Amino acid sequence: MGGGTLRIDQEGGPYPPNTGYFPDLLKRIPVQGAPSRERAPLPGASHGTTILAFHFQNGVLVAGDRRATASNRIMSNRVDKVLEIDDSALLAISGSPAMALEMARVLDHSLKYYRRSQLTEISLEGKVRILAQLLKENLPMAVEGIGAVVPLFVARDPDSRIVRIYFYDILGAHFEGVEFSVGGSGSPEVQGILRYLDRWSPHPLREMSREEAIVLALRLLETASYFDSATGGIDSQDPIWPVMKILTAETLETVDEPTLSTIYRNEVMRVR
Amino acid sequence: MFDEPYRWIDAIHQRRDYIAEQLDRATPVIGISVSEGILLVSYHRQNPKIYELYDRIALAGIGHPADLETVRGILLNMAHVEGFQRSVSDVSIERLALFGLAPRLKAAYEDISAPPIILDVLLSEVGRTPSEDRFIKVSFDGNLERSVGTMVLAPTEEVDLKVAGLLKERIPREERTLRKVVSALPGVFVETLFTREERGLDDSGNLISPEKLSECERILREDRQWEGVFLDRQAPSRIKKLNETGDFLL
Repeated sequence: MGGGTLRIDQEGGPYPPNTGYFPDLLKRIPVQGAPSRERAPLPGASHGTTILAFHFQNGVLVAGDRRATASNRIMSNRVDKVLEIDDSALLAISGSPAMALEMARVLDHSLKYYRRSQLTEISLEGKVRILAQLLKENLPMAVEGIGAVVPLFVARDPDSRIVRIYFYDILGAHFEGVEFSVGGSGSPEVQGILRYLDRWSPHPLREMSREEAIVLALRLLETASYFDSATGGIDSQDPIWPVMKILTAETLETVDEPTLSTIYRNEVMRVR
Repeated sequence: MFDEPYRWIDAIHQRRDYIAEQLDRATPVIGISVSEGILLVSYHRQNPKIYELYDRIALAGIGHPADLETVRGILLNMAHVEGFQRSVSDVSIERLALFGLAPRLKAAYEDISAPPIILDVLLSEVGRTPSEDRFIKVSFDGNLERSVGTMVLAPTEEVDLKVAGLLKERIPREERTLRKVVSALPGVFVETLFTREERGLDDSGNLISPEKLSECERILREDRQWEGVFLDRQAPSRIKKLNETGDFLL
Protein backbone atom coordinates (compact mmCIF):
# COMPACT_ATOMS: atom_id res chain seq x y z
CA MET A 1 0.00 0.00 0.00
CA GLY A 2 1.25 3.47 -0.86
CA GLY A 3 1.87 6.25 1.60
CA GLY A 4 -1.37 8.02 0.79
CA THR A 5 -3.77 5.19 1.49
CA LEU A 6 -6.51 5.49 4.02
CA ARG A 7 -5.04 4.42 7.32
CA ILE A 8 -4.42 5.91 10.69
CA ASP A 9 -1.70 3.73 12.14
CA GLN A 10 0.78 6.61 12.24
CA GLU A 11 -1.25 8.52 14.77
CA GLY A 12 -4.23 6.58 15.89
CA GLY A 13 -3.05 3.02 16.38
CA PRO A 14 -4.50 0.05 14.60
CA TYR A 15 -8.03 0.19 13.32
CA PRO A 16 -10.73 -1.00 13.86
CA PRO A 17 -10.99 -0.14 17.56
CA ASN A 18 -11.47 -3.68 18.71
CA THR A 19 -12.15 -2.81 22.34
CA GLY A 20 -14.10 0.42 22.21
CA TYR A 21 -12.23 1.28 25.42
CA PHE A 22 -11.63 5.03 25.30
CA PRO A 23 -8.63 5.10 27.72
CA ASP A 24 -6.81 2.80 25.28
CA LEU A 25 -7.31 5.42 22.57
CA LEU A 26 -6.00 8.13 24.89
CA LYS A 27 -2.88 6.08 25.60
CA ARG A 28 -2.20 5.69 21.87
CA ILE A 29 -2.66 9.40 21.17
CA PRO A 30 -0.91 11.69 23.70
CA VAL A 31 -3.62 13.90 25.10
CA GLN A 32 -3.46 16.64 27.69
CA GLY A 33 -5.42 15.57 30.72
CA ALA A 34 -5.44 11.89 29.89
CA PRO A 35 -4.99 9.47 32.78
CA SER A 36 -1.29 8.93 33.35
CA ARG A 37 0.89 7.20 35.88
CA GLU A 38 3.49 9.95 35.58
CA ARG A 39 1.45 12.87 36.79
CA ALA A 40 3.34 15.22 39.10
CA PRO A 41 2.07 15.82 42.62
CA LEU A 42 -0.23 18.82 42.96
CA PRO A 43 0.62 20.87 46.05
CA GLY A 44 -2.48 22.26 47.73
CA ALA A 45 -4.85 19.92 45.94
CA SER A 46 -8.37 20.24 47.26
CA HIS A 47 -10.37 17.60 49.13
CA GLY A 48 -13.42 17.13 51.29
CA THR A 49 -16.98 16.08 50.70
CA THR A 50 -20.05 14.29 51.82
CA ILE A 51 -21.79 12.20 49.20
CA LEU A 52 -24.53 9.70 49.80
CA ALA A 53 -26.89 7.41 47.91
CA PHE A 54 -29.76 5.33 49.21
CA HIS A 55 -32.68 3.35 47.87
CA PHE A 56 -36.22 4.57 48.46
CA GLN A 57 -39.63 3.66 47.05
CA ASN A 58 -39.09 5.03 43.53
CA GLY A 59 -35.40 4.36 42.99
CA VAL A 60 -32.13 5.75 44.31
CA LEU A 61 -31.49 9.26 45.60
CA VAL A 62 -27.93 10.56 45.20
CA ALA A 63 -26.82 13.76 46.92
CA GLY A 64 -23.64 15.69 47.61
CA ASP A 65 -22.66 18.92 49.31
CA ARG A 66 -20.97 21.69 47.30
CA ARG A 67 -17.74 22.42 49.21
CA ALA A 68 -14.16 21.79 48.13
CA THR A 69 -11.33 22.45 50.59
CA ALA A 70 -7.54 22.48 50.54
CA SER A 71 -6.25 21.89 54.01
CA ASN A 72 -8.22 24.34 56.14
CA ARG A 73 -9.05 26.66 53.25
CA ILE A 74 -12.41 26.63 51.51
CA MET A 75 -11.58 26.55 47.80
CA SER A 76 -15.16 26.61 46.51
CA ASN A 77 -18.72 26.27 47.73
CA ARG A 78 -20.19 25.60 44.32
CA VAL A 79 -18.73 22.30 43.23
CA ASP A 80 -21.10 19.81 41.59
CA LYS A 81 -20.21 16.44 43.02
CA VAL A 82 -23.10 14.45 41.61
CA LEU A 83 -22.52 14.12 37.88
CA GLU A 84 -24.72 12.66 35.17
CA ILE A 85 -22.61 10.29 33.11
CA ASP A 86 -25.50 9.42 30.83
CA ASP A 87 -29.25 9.05 31.21
CA SER A 88 -28.85 5.88 33.24
CA ALA A 89 -25.75 6.50 35.36
CA LEU A 90 -24.64 8.94 38.05
CA LEU A 91 -21.21 9.44 39.54
CA ALA A 92 -20.87 11.03 42.97
CA ILE A 93 -17.31 12.09 43.68
CA SER A 94 -15.38 12.50 46.90
CA GLY A 95 -11.69 13.11 47.42
CA SER A 96 -9.55 15.14 45.06
CA PRO A 97 -11.88 17.06 42.71
CA ALA A 98 -9.17 17.43 40.08
CA MET A 99 -8.76 13.68 39.69
CA ALA A 100 -12.43 12.90 40.28
CA LEU A 101 -13.69 15.34 37.66
CA GLU A 102 -11.11 14.02 35.23
CA MET A 103 -12.30 10.47 35.88
CA ALA A 104 -15.87 11.57 35.29
CA ARG A 105 -14.83 13.08 31.95
CA VAL A 106 -12.99 9.92 30.92
CA LEU A 107 -15.93 7.79 32.00
CA ASP A 108 -18.40 9.97 30.12
CA HIS A 109 -16.33 9.80 26.95
CA SER A 110 -15.66 6.10 27.42
CA LEU A 111 -19.33 5.18 27.50
CA LYS A 112 -20.15 7.31 24.49
CA TYR A 113 -17.11 6.07 22.58
CA TYR A 114 -18.02 2.47 23.32
CA ARG A 115 -21.62 2.97 22.18
CA ARG A 116 -20.61 4.75 19.00
CA SER A 117 -17.71 2.50 18.03
CA GLN A 118 -19.19 -0.85 18.98
CA LEU A 119 -22.76 0.10 18.00
CA THR A 120 -24.16 -1.28 21.24
CA GLU A 121 -24.55 -0.11 24.82
CA ILE A 122 -21.93 -1.26 27.28
CA SER A 123 -23.23 -3.47 30.08
CA LEU A 124 -23.65 -2.22 33.63
CA GLU A 125 -20.76 -4.46 34.72
CA GLY A 126 -18.68 -2.91 31.92
CA LYS A 127 -19.37 0.59 33.21
CA VAL A 128 -18.48 -0.46 36.75
CA ARG A 129 -15.23 -2.01 35.51
CA ILE A 130 -14.14 1.08 33.54
CA LEU A 131 -14.37 3.18 36.69
CA ALA A 132 -12.47 0.49 38.63
CA GLN A 133 -9.71 0.62 36.03
CA LEU A 134 -9.48 4.41 36.25
CA LEU A 135 -9.19 4.21 40.03
CA LYS A 136 -6.49 1.57 39.75
CA GLU A 137 -4.53 3.79 37.36
CA ASN A 138 -4.84 6.64 39.86
CA LEU A 139 -3.32 4.60 42.68
CA PRO A 140 0.11 6.33 42.67
CA MET A 141 -1.61 9.68 43.25
CA ALA A 142 -3.81 8.17 45.92
CA VAL A 143 -0.94 6.64 47.91
CA GLU A 144 0.93 9.93 47.77
CA GLY A 145 -2.01 11.33 49.68
CA ILE A 146 -2.95 14.08 47.28
CA GLY A 147 -5.08 12.51 44.58
CA ALA A 148 -7.30 9.92 46.20
CA VAL A 149 -10.77 9.56 44.75
CA VAL A 150 -13.52 7.48 46.34
CA PRO A 151 -16.63 7.66 44.19
CA LEU A 152 -20.12 6.26 44.34
CA PHE A 153 -21.49 4.96 41.08
CA VAL A 154 -25.24 4.61 40.68
CA ALA A 155 -26.58 3.08 37.51
CA ARG A 156 -29.62 1.42 36.01
CA ASP A 157 -29.18 -2.10 34.72
CA PRO A 158 -30.40 -1.92 31.09
CA ASP A 159 -31.82 -5.45 31.22
CA SER A 160 -33.54 -5.65 34.59
CA ARG A 161 -34.12 -1.85 34.92
CA ILE A 162 -32.98 -2.19 38.54
CA VAL A 163 -30.97 0.75 39.87
CA ARG A 164 -27.85 -0.29 41.76
CA ILE A 165 -25.40 1.55 44.00
CA TYR A 166 -21.68 0.73 43.84
CA PHE A 167 -18.91 1.99 46.07
CA TYR A 168 -15.18 1.68 45.49
CA ASP A 169 -11.92 1.71 47.40
CA ILE A 170 -8.90 3.63 46.10
CA LEU A 171 -7.51 0.52 44.38
CA GLY A 172 -10.64 0.10 42.30
CA ALA A 173 -12.31 -2.73 44.19
CA HIS A 174 -16.04 -2.27 43.89
CA PHE A 175 -18.94 -3.49 45.95
CA GLU A 176 -22.66 -3.06 45.75
CA GLY A 177 -24.21 -0.91 48.46
CA VAL A 178 -27.39 -2.87 48.83
CA GLU A 179 -29.42 -0.25 50.73
CA PHE A 180 -27.11 2.77 50.86
CA SER A 181 -23.53 3.96 50.42
CA VAL A 182 -21.69 7.06 51.53
CA GLY A 183 -18.36 8.72 50.82
CA GLY A 184 -16.17 11.63 51.85
CA SER A 185 -14.90 13.09 55.10
CA GLY A 186 -18.39 13.80 56.42
CA SER A 187 -19.66 10.32 55.74
CA PRO A 188 -19.19 8.53 59.12
CA GLU A 189 -22.10 10.32 60.77
CA VAL A 190 -24.27 9.88 57.70
CA GLN A 191 -23.43 6.20 57.47
CA GLY A 192 -24.39 5.66 61.11
CA ILE A 193 -27.71 7.42 60.71
CA LEU A 194 -28.60 5.52 57.54
CA ARG A 195 -27.75 2.21 59.17
CA TYR A 196 -29.81 3.08 62.23
CA LEU A 197 -32.83 4.20 60.21
CA ASP A 198 -32.75 1.24 57.88
CA ARG A 199 -32.47 -1.21 60.76
CA TRP A 200 -34.65 0.24 63.49
CA SER A 201 -36.98 2.92 62.15
CA PRO A 202 -40.63 1.85 61.65
CA HIS A 203 -40.01 1.64 57.89
CA PRO A 204 -36.81 0.68 56.10
CA LEU A 205 -35.23 3.16 53.66
CA ARG A 206 -36.75 1.40 50.66
CA GLU A 207 -40.26 2.25 51.84
CA MET A 208 -39.69 6.00 52.00
CA SER A 209 -41.62 8.29 49.67
CA ARG A 210 -39.86 10.74 47.35
CA GLU A 211 -40.45 13.65 49.70
CA GLU A 212 -39.31 11.69 52.75
CA ALA A 213 -36.16 10.73 50.87
CA ILE A 214 -35.39 14.37 49.99
CA VAL A 215 -36.01 15.45 53.60
CA LEU A 216 -33.69 12.72 54.84
CA ALA A 217 -30.93 13.62 52.36
CA LEU A 218 -31.06 17.30 53.36
CA ARG A 219 -30.96 16.41 57.05
CA LEU A 220 -28.05 14.03 56.51
CA LEU A 221 -26.00 16.65 54.66
CA GLU A 222 -26.84 19.21 57.36
CA THR A 223 -25.65 16.76 60.01
CA ALA A 224 -22.45 16.04 58.09
CA SER A 225 -21.69 19.77 57.77
CA TYR A 226 -22.27 20.19 61.52
CA PHE A 227 -19.45 17.77 62.33
CA ASP A 228 -17.20 18.05 59.29
CA SER A 229 -15.69 21.38 58.30
CA ALA A 230 -14.94 20.09 54.81
CA THR A 231 -18.64 19.56 54.11
CA GLY A 232 -20.56 22.64 53.03
CA GLY A 233 -23.73 23.48 54.91
CA ILE A 234 -26.53 25.74 53.74
CA ASP A 235 -26.26 29.43 54.53
CA SER A 236 -29.86 30.62 54.86
CA GLN A 237 -28.84 34.14 53.75
CA ASP A 238 -27.11 33.03 50.57
CA PRO A 239 -28.27 29.48 49.97
CA ILE A 240 -26.19 27.16 47.85
CA TRP A 241 -28.24 24.03 47.60
CA PRO A 242 -26.78 20.55 47.53
CA VAL A 243 -26.94 18.68 44.25
CA MET A 244 -29.60 16.01 44.50
CA LYS A 245 -30.57 13.59 41.75
CA ILE A 246 -33.00 10.71 41.60
CA LEU A 247 -32.48 7.72 39.31
CA THR A 248 -35.46 5.42 38.85
CA ALA A 249 -36.19 2.49 36.57
CA GLU A 250 -37.41 4.94 33.93
CA THR A 251 -36.13 8.43 34.63
CA LEU A 252 -33.25 10.55 35.82
CA GLU A 253 -34.34 13.68 37.66
CA THR A 254 -32.52 16.60 39.25
CA VAL A 255 -34.40 17.85 42.30
CA ASP A 256 -34.96 21.53 41.61
CA GLU A 257 -33.96 24.37 43.93
CA PRO A 258 -37.50 25.55 44.79
CA THR A 259 -38.31 22.04 46.02
CA LEU A 260 -35.10 21.88 48.04
CA SER A 261 -35.73 25.37 49.40
CA THR A 262 -39.28 24.59 50.54
CA ILE A 263 -38.38 21.27 52.10
CA TYR A 264 -35.29 22.73 53.75
CA ARG A 265 -37.29 25.59 55.26
CA ASN A 266 -40.10 23.36 56.52
CA GLU A 267 -38.32 20.17 57.44
CA VAL A 268 -34.68 21.01 58.16
CA MET A 269 -34.75 24.52 59.62
CA ARG A 270 -38.26 23.87 60.97
CA VAL A 271 -39.30 27.50 60.37
CA ARG A 272 -43.04 27.49 59.84
CA MET B 1 4.45 2.33 -15.19
CA PHE B 2 2.85 5.58 -13.96
CA ASP B 3 5.96 7.72 -14.17
CA GLU B 4 4.81 9.55 -17.24
CA PRO B 5 2.18 12.29 -16.63
CA TYR B 6 -0.09 10.99 -19.36
CA ARG B 7 -0.18 7.51 -17.87
CA TRP B 8 -0.94 8.94 -14.42
CA ILE B 9 -3.81 11.07 -15.75
CA ASP B 10 -5.13 8.13 -17.70
CA ALA B 11 -4.99 5.95 -14.60
CA ILE B 12 -6.80 8.59 -12.53
CA HIS B 13 -9.54 8.83 -15.14
CA GLN B 14 -9.95 5.08 -15.12
CA ARG B 15 -10.03 5.14 -11.33
CA ARG B 16 -12.78 7.81 -11.32
CA ASP B 17 -14.83 5.79 -13.80
CA TYR B 18 -14.36 2.62 -11.78
CA ILE B 19 -15.42 4.26 -8.50
CA ALA B 20 -18.39 5.99 -10.15
CA GLU B 21 -19.47 2.66 -11.59
CA GLN B 22 -19.24 1.01 -8.17
CA LEU B 23 -21.29 3.78 -6.56
CA ASP B 24 -23.85 3.87 -9.33
CA ARG B 25 -26.44 1.58 -7.75
CA ALA B 26 -26.31 3.09 -4.28
CA THR B 27 -29.55 4.25 -2.69
CA PRO B 28 -29.27 7.94 -1.79
CA VAL B 29 -29.18 9.29 1.75
CA ILE B 30 -31.31 12.36 2.39
CA GLY B 31 -30.29 14.83 5.09
CA ILE B 32 -32.88 17.45 5.94
CA SER B 33 -33.24 20.10 8.64
CA VAL B 34 -36.57 20.13 10.40
CA SER B 35 -37.74 22.37 13.21
CA GLU B 36 -36.88 19.69 15.83
CA GLY B 37 -33.45 18.75 14.48
CA ILE B 38 -31.87 16.97 11.53
CA LEU B 39 -33.37 13.91 9.90
CA LEU B 40 -31.26 11.46 7.89
CA VAL B 41 -33.05 8.81 5.90
CA SER B 42 -32.10 6.08 3.47
CA TYR B 43 -32.90 2.48 2.56
CA HIS B 44 -30.29 -0.25 2.64
CA ARG B 45 -30.12 -3.83 1.51
CA GLN B 46 -27.46 -5.29 3.80
CA ASN B 47 -25.44 -2.75 5.73
CA PRO B 48 -26.56 0.41 7.52
CA LYS B 49 -25.33 3.69 6.09
CA ILE B 50 -26.09 6.22 8.83
CA TYR B 51 -24.23 6.33 12.14
CA GLU B 52 -23.87 8.41 15.26
CA LEU B 53 -20.45 10.05 15.26
CA TYR B 54 -20.37 12.44 18.18
CA ASP B 55 -22.64 14.76 20.16
CA ARG B 56 -24.67 16.70 17.53
CA ILE B 57 -22.95 14.91 14.65
CA ALA B 58 -23.94 12.01 12.41
CA LEU B 59 -22.16 10.32 9.54
CA ALA B 60 -23.67 8.74 6.45
CA GLY B 61 -21.87 7.04 3.60
CA ILE B 62 -22.62 5.31 0.32
CA GLY B 63 -20.13 2.92 -1.17
CA HIS B 64 -18.20 -0.04 0.12
CA PRO B 65 -19.17 -0.99 3.68
CA ALA B 66 -15.57 -1.75 4.65
CA ASP B 67 -14.42 1.69 3.50
CA LEU B 68 -17.29 3.30 5.39
CA GLU B 69 -16.26 1.40 8.50
CA THR B 70 -12.64 2.59 8.14
CA VAL B 71 -13.69 6.21 7.72
CA ARG B 72 -16.15 5.91 10.59
CA GLY B 73 -13.33 4.68 12.83
CA ILE B 74 -11.01 7.53 11.85
CA LEU B 75 -13.63 10.19 12.46
CA LEU B 76 -14.84 8.59 15.70
CA ASN B 77 -11.33 8.62 17.10
CA MET B 78 -10.65 12.15 15.93
CA ALA B 79 -13.93 13.52 17.30
CA HIS B 80 -13.61 11.85 20.70
CA VAL B 81 -9.99 12.83 21.23
CA GLU B 82 -10.76 16.40 20.17
CA GLY B 83 -13.84 16.54 22.40
CA PHE B 84 -11.96 15.12 25.38
CA GLN B 85 -8.88 17.27 24.92
CA ARG B 86 -10.85 20.50 24.41
CA SER B 87 -14.61 20.57 24.64
CA VAL B 88 -17.63 18.86 23.15
CA SER B 89 -18.53 22.14 21.48
CA ASP B 90 -15.13 22.33 19.75
CA VAL B 91 -15.89 19.27 17.65
CA SER B 92 -17.40 20.34 14.34
CA ILE B 93 -18.01 18.69 11.00
CA GLU B 94 -16.04 21.50 9.38
CA ARG B 95 -12.90 20.43 11.25
CA LEU B 96 -13.59 16.72 10.82
CA ALA B 97 -14.13 17.08 7.09
CA LEU B 98 -11.42 19.59 6.38
CA PHE B 99 -8.61 18.18 8.52
CA GLY B 100 -9.62 14.58 9.12
CA LEU B 101 -11.32 13.25 6.07
CA ALA B 102 -10.81 15.26 2.88
CA PRO B 103 -6.97 15.08 2.81
CA ARG B 104 -7.03 11.34 3.47
CA LEU B 105 -9.62 10.65 0.79
CA LYS B 106 -7.73 12.79 -1.71
CA ALA B 107 -4.44 11.05 -0.92
CA ALA B 108 -6.08 7.65 -1.22
CA TYR B 109 -7.75 8.61 -4.50
CA GLU B 110 -4.52 9.83 -6.05
CA ASP B 111 -2.45 6.89 -4.91
CA ILE B 112 -3.05 4.80 -7.99
CA SER B 113 -0.84 2.01 -6.75
CA ALA B 114 -3.32 1.17 -4.00
CA PRO B 115 -6.90 -0.04 -4.16
CA PRO B 116 -9.36 2.87 -4.28
CA ILE B 117 -11.66 4.00 -1.50
CA ILE B 118 -15.18 3.57 -2.81
CA LEU B 119 -17.07 5.98 -0.62
CA ASP B 120 -18.92 9.29 -0.56
CA VAL B 121 -19.61 10.71 2.88
CA LEU B 122 -22.24 13.05 4.31
CA LEU B 123 -21.56 14.72 7.67
CA SER B 124 -24.43 16.43 9.50
CA GLU B 125 -24.27 18.70 12.52
CA VAL B 126 -27.36 19.89 14.36
CA GLY B 127 -27.35 23.45 15.70
CA ARG B 128 -29.52 25.38 18.11
CA THR B 129 -31.80 26.52 15.28
CA PRO B 130 -32.41 25.14 11.78
CA SER B 131 -30.35 27.97 10.30
CA GLU B 132 -27.36 26.72 12.31
CA ASP B 133 -27.64 23.15 11.02
CA ARG B 134 -24.78 22.18 8.74
CA PHE B 135 -24.18 19.53 6.10
CA ILE B 136 -20.89 18.71 4.41
CA LYS B 137 -20.44 16.17 1.66
CA VAL B 138 -16.98 14.72 1.10
CA SER B 139 -16.63 12.81 -2.14
CA PHE B 140 -14.26 9.92 -2.81
CA ASP B 141 -11.68 12.31 -4.32
CA GLY B 142 -11.66 14.57 -1.26
CA ASN B 143 -13.86 17.31 -2.68
CA LEU B 144 -16.04 19.18 -0.20
CA GLU B 145 -19.52 20.55 -0.69
CA ARG B 146 -21.41 22.46 2.00
CA SER B 147 -25.10 23.03 2.47
CA VAL B 148 -27.74 24.35 4.88
CA GLY B 149 -31.31 23.05 4.94
CA THR B 150 -30.92 19.86 2.95
CA MET B 151 -28.24 17.73 1.40
CA VAL B 152 -28.51 14.60 -0.66
CA LEU B 153 -25.80 11.98 -0.79
CA ALA B 154 -26.49 10.45 -4.17
CA PRO B 155 -24.46 8.22 -6.49
CA THR B 156 -24.79 10.58 -9.46
CA GLU B 157 -25.43 14.25 -10.05
CA GLU B 158 -28.62 13.35 -11.88
CA VAL B 159 -30.06 11.57 -8.83
CA ASP B 160 -28.84 14.35 -6.57
CA LEU B 161 -30.70 17.00 -8.59
CA LYS B 162 -33.80 14.85 -8.89
CA VAL B 163 -34.06 14.24 -5.12
CA ALA B 164 -33.27 17.86 -4.31
CA GLY B 165 -36.03 18.98 -6.69
CA LEU B 166 -38.54 16.56 -5.19
CA LEU B 167 -37.75 17.71 -1.66
CA LYS B 168 -38.22 21.33 -2.65
CA GLU B 169 -41.49 20.55 -4.37
CA ARG B 170 -43.00 18.12 -1.86
CA ILE B 171 -41.82 19.59 1.44
CA PRO B 172 -41.70 23.40 1.45
CA ARG B 173 -39.11 24.74 3.84
CA GLU B 174 -41.64 26.38 6.17
CA GLU B 175 -43.50 23.07 6.62
CA ARG B 176 -40.52 21.00 7.60
CA THR B 177 -41.51 19.31 10.84
CA LEU B 178 -40.32 15.83 11.71
CA ARG B 179 -43.67 14.11 11.18
CA LYS B 180 -44.41 15.81 7.88
CA VAL B 181 -40.99 15.11 6.44
CA VAL B 182 -40.94 11.47 7.52
CA SER B 183 -44.33 10.86 5.96
CA ALA B 184 -43.23 12.44 2.67
CA LEU B 185 -39.87 10.71 2.30
CA PRO B 186 -40.94 7.18 1.26
CA GLY B 187 -42.72 8.76 -1.72
CA VAL B 188 -39.56 10.66 -2.63
CA PHE B 189 -37.57 7.42 -2.60
CA VAL B 190 -40.13 5.59 -4.75
CA GLU B 191 -40.02 8.40 -7.26
CA THR B 192 -36.23 8.42 -7.23
CA LEU B 193 -35.59 4.71 -7.47
CA PHE B 194 -38.26 3.71 -10.00
CA THR B 195 -38.89 4.99 -13.49
CA ARG B 196 -42.09 6.75 -14.50
CA GLU B 197 -43.22 3.64 -16.34
CA GLU B 198 -42.50 1.36 -13.40
CA ARG B 199 -44.61 3.64 -11.22
CA GLY B 200 -47.56 3.41 -13.62
CA LEU B 201 -47.48 7.01 -14.85
CA ASP B 202 -48.14 8.21 -18.37
CA ASP B 203 -45.91 10.67 -20.22
CA SER B 204 -47.71 13.63 -18.66
CA GLY B 205 -47.16 12.26 -15.15
CA ASN B 206 -50.75 11.09 -14.60
CA LEU B 207 -51.20 7.92 -12.58
CA ILE B 208 -52.79 5.39 -14.90
CA SER B 209 -51.87 2.21 -13.06
CA PRO B 210 -52.14 2.52 -9.26
CA GLU B 211 -51.31 -1.18 -8.86
CA LYS B 212 -47.88 -0.54 -10.42
CA LEU B 213 -47.22 2.22 -7.91
CA SER B 214 -48.26 -0.08 -5.06
CA GLU B 215 -45.92 -2.72 -6.44
CA CYS B 216 -43.02 -0.22 -6.39
CA GLU B 217 -43.82 0.65 -2.77
CA ARG B 218 -43.95 -3.03 -1.89
CA ILE B 219 -40.60 -3.73 -3.58
CA LEU B 220 -39.00 -0.82 -1.73
CA ARG B 221 -40.29 -2.08 1.62
CA GLU B 222 -39.41 -5.71 1.03
CA ASP B 223 -36.10 -5.45 -0.83
CA ARG B 224 -34.59 -2.75 1.31
CA GLN B 225 -34.71 -1.72 4.91
CA TRP B 226 -35.74 1.76 6.03
CA GLU B 227 -33.06 3.63 7.94
CA GLY B 228 -34.09 6.77 9.80
CA VAL B 229 -31.81 8.64 12.18
CA PHE B 230 -32.72 11.82 14.01
CA LEU B 231 -30.37 14.36 15.60
CA ASP B 232 -32.53 16.01 18.24
CA ARG B 233 -31.88 19.71 18.75
CA GLN B 234 -33.00 19.43 22.39
CA ALA B 235 -31.01 16.30 23.26
CA PRO B 236 -28.10 16.18 20.84
CA SER B 237 -25.77 13.81 22.70
CA ARG B 238 -27.45 10.68 21.35
CA ILE B 239 -29.02 9.91 18.00
CA LYS B 240 -32.55 8.57 17.87
CA LYS B 241 -33.69 5.98 15.38
CA LEU B 242 -37.16 6.19 13.97
CA ASN B 243 -39.40 4.08 11.79
CA GLU B 244 -41.25 5.02 8.62
CA THR B 245 -44.17 6.43 10.56
CA GLY B 246 -41.93 8.73 12.58
CA ASP B 247 -42.11 6.77 15.85
CA PHE B 248 -38.88 6.56 17.78
CA LEU B 249 -37.34 3.13 18.24
CA LEU B 250 -35.73 2.10 21.51
